[in-house]
Amino acid sequence: MEFLLNPYYMQLITFIIINAILGISIYLTLSTGQLSLGNAGFMSVGAYTSALLTLKAGVPLYAAVPLGGAAACLLAAIIGIPTTRLRGIYLAIATLGFGEVVRVIILNLKITNGALGLSSIPSMGVMLSKGIAAFGLAGGIGGISVRQLGSIAVILILALILGFLIFFALRLSSSRLGRAFAAIKADEHAAEVSGIDTRYYKLLAFFMGAFVAGIAGGLAAHITFYIGPKDFAYHRAVEILLFAVLGGSDVVWGPILGAVLLTVLPEVLRFATEYREMIYGAILVLMMAFRPQGLISESTLALWRTKLTRQPKIAGQDKVTRRTTP
Amino acid sequence: MLQLQQLAAGYGNIKALKNIDLTVPAGSIVSLIGANGAGKTTVMKVIMGLIKPEFGQIFFKGQNISGIASHKIVSLGLSLVPEGRSILSRMTVLENLEMGACQRQDNEVQADLQRIFQRFPILEERKAQLGGTLSGGQQQMLAIGRALMSRPELLLLDEPSMGLAPLVVADIFKVIQEINQEGTTVLLVEQNVRQALKIAKYAFVLETGRISLHGQAEDIAKDPRVMEAYLGGKK
Repeated sequence: MEFLLNPYYMQLITFIIINAILGISIYLTLSTGQLSLGNAGFMSVGAYTSALLTLKAGVPLYAAVPLGGAAACLLAAIIGIPTTRLRGIYLAIATLGFGEVVRVIILNLKITNGALGLSSIPSMGVMLSKGIAAFGLAGGIGGISVRQLGSIAVILILALILGFLIFFALRLSSSRLGRAFAAIKADEHAAEVSGIDTRYYKLLAFFMGAFVAGIAGGLAAHITFYIGPKDFAYHRAVEILLFAVLGGSDVVWGPILGAVLLTVLPEVLRFATEYREMIYGAILVLMMAFRPQGLISESTLALWRTKLTRQPKIAGQDKVTRRTTP
Repeated sequence: MLQLQQLAAGYGNIKALKNIDLTVPAGSIVSLIGANGAGKTTVMKVIMGLIKPEFGQIFFKGQNISGIASHKIVSLGLSLVPEGRSILSRMTVLENLEMGACQRQDNEVQADLQRIFQRFPILEERKAQLGGTLSGGQQQMLAIGRALMSRPELLLLDEPSMGLAPLVVADIFKVIQEINQEGTTVLLVEQNVRQALKIAKYAFVLETGRISLHGQAEDIAKDPRVMEAYLGGKK
């Protein structure tokens, strides 16, 4: 128990969840076939907005994080209306440029504290442990200290948000909206002549991706209690893209798996010290060579579904007969 | 039903259409024929709002639709079966058909789906199959079915016979006639001039962005210039 509850693992789990949320954000834009590399930029807007609101305006944390998402969304409107007309690599370059512009602006503004970044951002874990202490559990329960309880609560809240987003993404893919997204991804021309307002839907997907990235940024800010412009540089944009490339972008599980693997992998490879980055790179190259569609695609899901449903067939029949008897 | 007046359009510096006047009367089949590069597909794209006209007007049921966004044009009652079919190849046949009805909110979508399955029984058989795995002829049927799912009053068909075997072509042309008899007006772009003139009431001949000839389809079929250029000699 003590082993599992050490701060290092707790921290790792929170990073995994935040990266999974970022994976969903790139999945949402990719579901219309738009390759946007602006998610790191939107994440930084969400992070800085939320952090500044709590630090300077005293806005409570639970309001500041959604406001960060809203700010990212607002910026997505400004940047999205001209850029979503672009396709493929052109959109990727434009959004990548946007991310860098945001970073440079943050670097030079006074309110964002330039290159030093913002520190002592109100921490979610501290807030929650205080709440738990006020609840009368200042001594902890069952050998788990109040700080650990706070961390567990943070993980639970993050998991809840992630769960909701997964549910949303799954519902989306079977809705009219999701079908329109998929049609645009498959063949924009065909979608257009089928009567789909491609510009509207593409912009909508762009907004949703930006909002989710903004939320992830806000959450990250209140977990690490320090953010700087370096956290949201080009490197981060590529990292988010890799979640979708490694995991696959057909279904929402793909980028989530990608996020989990790519967060855990560098930690697992710590023993390899200076060779770490090399192994990491080699894994990605091998991945591209042998499974370019990513680890999870629609067909892998279908395969597992048939594998899993084949065995308990007798049990299934049992259910049917039971239902017919009144 | 559809009227193009002095329409001009192009791609950047290239003027694909120079001065097009074209009328499609309600209830008829109209064929638009011409050589490669004459501008036939461009006419279709301009009507659907995929390319903005540089000059001239398009009227559909008396309403000026030039420069309107494509999805709004579809909701007015126009539907295009694009050249090369543009099947959503990673979606199933059923999903492809449902995509055609994506703007409809009424509850007759299922009934229309059944009607399309009646017309193309092969599509019902293969409804769970991915669109990309169908043969060329089946894909063409699927593309026509998808276009019909939006309940168009005017159906635009861009080279429905492209790359298909003669027997399949005959089937497709029969279906086009049936669709027309059930009340849908058809504007047909074709390379297969003989067939296109056989089923059409009116025909327009397009040459390098201009209408060079138009009239009753049977008169066009007898015109010596058309016979020489498209039907293989004067005889």
